[in-house]
Amino acid sequence: MLLSLALAAALAADPVPGLLIERRVAETVPLQVGDTVRVRALASGHPPRPFVVAGIFERAADPNRIARNDLEVRFHLPDLEALLPNHDRVDRFAVVLAPGARGDSAARWIETTALGTRAYSSTGLAERTSATFAVVSRFHDAIGIVTILASAIFLLCVMVIRVDERRRDMGVLRLIGVSRGTVFRAIVLEAIAIAVVGSAAGAVLGMIVARIVNAYYAQVYDTTLRFALVTPRIVVLAALLGLALGALAGALAAWRVVQVAPQKLGER
Amino acid sequence: MIVAASLRALGRRRGRTALALAGIAVSAALLLDMTMLASGLTRSFGELLGVSGYALRVTPKGILPFDSEAGIPGGDAVGARIARIPGVKSVAPVLGAQFRVVRGDSAGAPLFTTGITPGAQFLYRIVEGREPGPGEVVVSEPMARLDGIRVGSTLLLAGADVSLGRRDTRTVRVSGVGDFLYDYAEQRSLAMPIGEVQRATGRPGEVSLFGVAVADGADGDDLARRIAAAIPEVTALSTRELMREMDRRLLYFRQLATILGSIAMVVTALLISTIVTIGVRERFGEIATLRAIGVARGRILLAVVTEGLVLAAVGCLAGLPLGLWMARRLDRILLSFPGIPARMTFFAWEAERVALAMGLVIAIGGLAGCIPGLAAVRSALSQALREEAE
Repeated sequence: MLLSLALAAALAADPVPGLLIERRVAETVPLQVGDTVRVRALASGHPPRPFVVAGIFERAADPNRIARNDLEVRFHLPDLEALLPNHDRVDRFAVVLAPGARGDSAARWIETTALGTRAYSSTGLAERTSATFAVVSRFHDAIGIVTILASAIFLLCVMVIRVDERRRDMGVLRLIGVSRGTVFRAIVLEAIAIAVVGSAAGAVLGMIVARIVNAYYAQVYDTTLRFALVTPRIVVLAALLGLALGALAGALAAWRVVQVAPQKLGER
Repeated sequence: MIVAASLRALGRRRGRTALALAGIAVSAALLLDMTMLASGLTRSFGELLGVSGYALRVTPKGILPFDSEAGIPGGDAVGARIARIPGVKSVAPVLGAQFRVVRGDSAGAPLFTTGITPGAQFLYRIVEGREPGPGEVVVSEPMARLDGIRVGSTLLLAGADVSLGRRDTRTVRVSGVGDFLYDYAEQRSLAMPIGEVQRATGRPGEVSLFGVAVADGADGDDLARRIAAAIPEVTALSTRELMREMDRRLLYFRQLATILGSIAMVVTALLISTIVTIGVRERFGEIATLRAIGVARGRILLAVVTEGLVLAAVGCLAGLPLGLWMARRLDRILLSFPGIPARMTFFAWEAERVALAMGLVIAIGGLAGCIPGLAAVRSALSQALREEAE
């Protein structure tokens, strides 16, 4: 239900019920505690009724509602019911179970009490309402895979180029008796070092970008919701991934070099 | 000749060149997808809105179509007022409601039900059977398929107020199966004459929205403004305004596309400049020799820039099919969003935008070649020759 709000000129004779308004409504109209507003439901033909602004609240950050980001007001249930065309009707109940009661069996029993009623556990409800975010998450995963692929190719390219550049040096090392294994390990270690430095720089860049993203969207949607989070788990995962990719790129680049006879490494 | 020699150098380092091309192809594919994503949803939504011929939507003041239970009271009178406005070709009223199919002692999940005027509606196309008459409904294709419903079947429908002891049900006959244009994948929907929905829901004369067809030669935006001015209790939305609203709600994806597209371009630039820089470095002696025998700096620079351009262009060509394949996969993921019509696509091919993006990548390739090329032709010749001799 959406409600239209308008400033009232005078207070009614009867005690005027109170309502809570969201901070964004208070700033947009503008309104403050003690003001009187007249409210009517668009879904009914009832005339507007006066209400006193009893308080201003900040809506909890809810990612489910960010797309529409509707403004919100809150009434006592009987006051809201009086505004609507249908009485003695609710959209949903929240049920607190007694200690030891089983949620599944309680839900099944509730569904048998009224035709068409559905009961969900809080976990089940969270799963159903988070479908949007599951899709966004899958999309991010897919993009992440493409990005990792591009990064891996880039890293491999850099390592191959670096190793190719120093083929002569590698040849000299091999000719003076340095083993293939030592050369191989040196190249892999170098690749890992590059990956570690790159990952660290990436983590710092990620944190900066996350701050910018959060600040930007907080302004766009006027919300306290945080859109980007760089958690220790993400940093560790990125570092491990960087290490693995670095080691792989180094190993592939080193393999190309150690397979060549040392006297041929100096050739162009 | 100089240019050909420069390009042959790419062929000599096949492994490295192939790797660089693979990297550029992946980056170009990502850029292509982000270009398609940036405008895809809005464009396909616009096409979907216009497919029925009813380009305008008239809703209760400040409400988007089916965004709330709000209705327009006195729908017949409001519809008649809209129809009188010059530029209006026809008006189709719709009332949204929820019904459930009752089987035995249980009522199924709520079904999105629309009350329409048969013969003047814009929500579905009949694929089997005919438009609904009194006591009849049209069901969506997924509902017919999943629930085994055929033309001629009967359904027991209950309204929203299904509760303990209340069984306000009615039997309806299925007159047809429809292709519902705005339904998401596998959505079960019903449509029936609007008068029956109004009576069943206790909302006599109420309308959720009107579809308005624009007469030939009339401007949709202008007509929307005139409707809103003539009937203050409604909001008239043109296709452009609805697309703008869709854009606002999916701002995140547009911005994500911009960010990822920019990253793809940076990665491409880095790859090309790295490859070309190293290539130039390796051919430093050759370049110094060419300069020593009098080859113009401009020709040498052109050769290096061409190397970058060719790398970028070939990478882009390889990236196009990869990008299209990725777009199909990503589209499948995103179309599972709740409430997104299955007919829409997040990734739309727009030749101009795609050409611009690919042109940008190729230009970046040329620019990336310019930097090492300029460094090579500007270095002191004596020093370059000495370095090569060492």
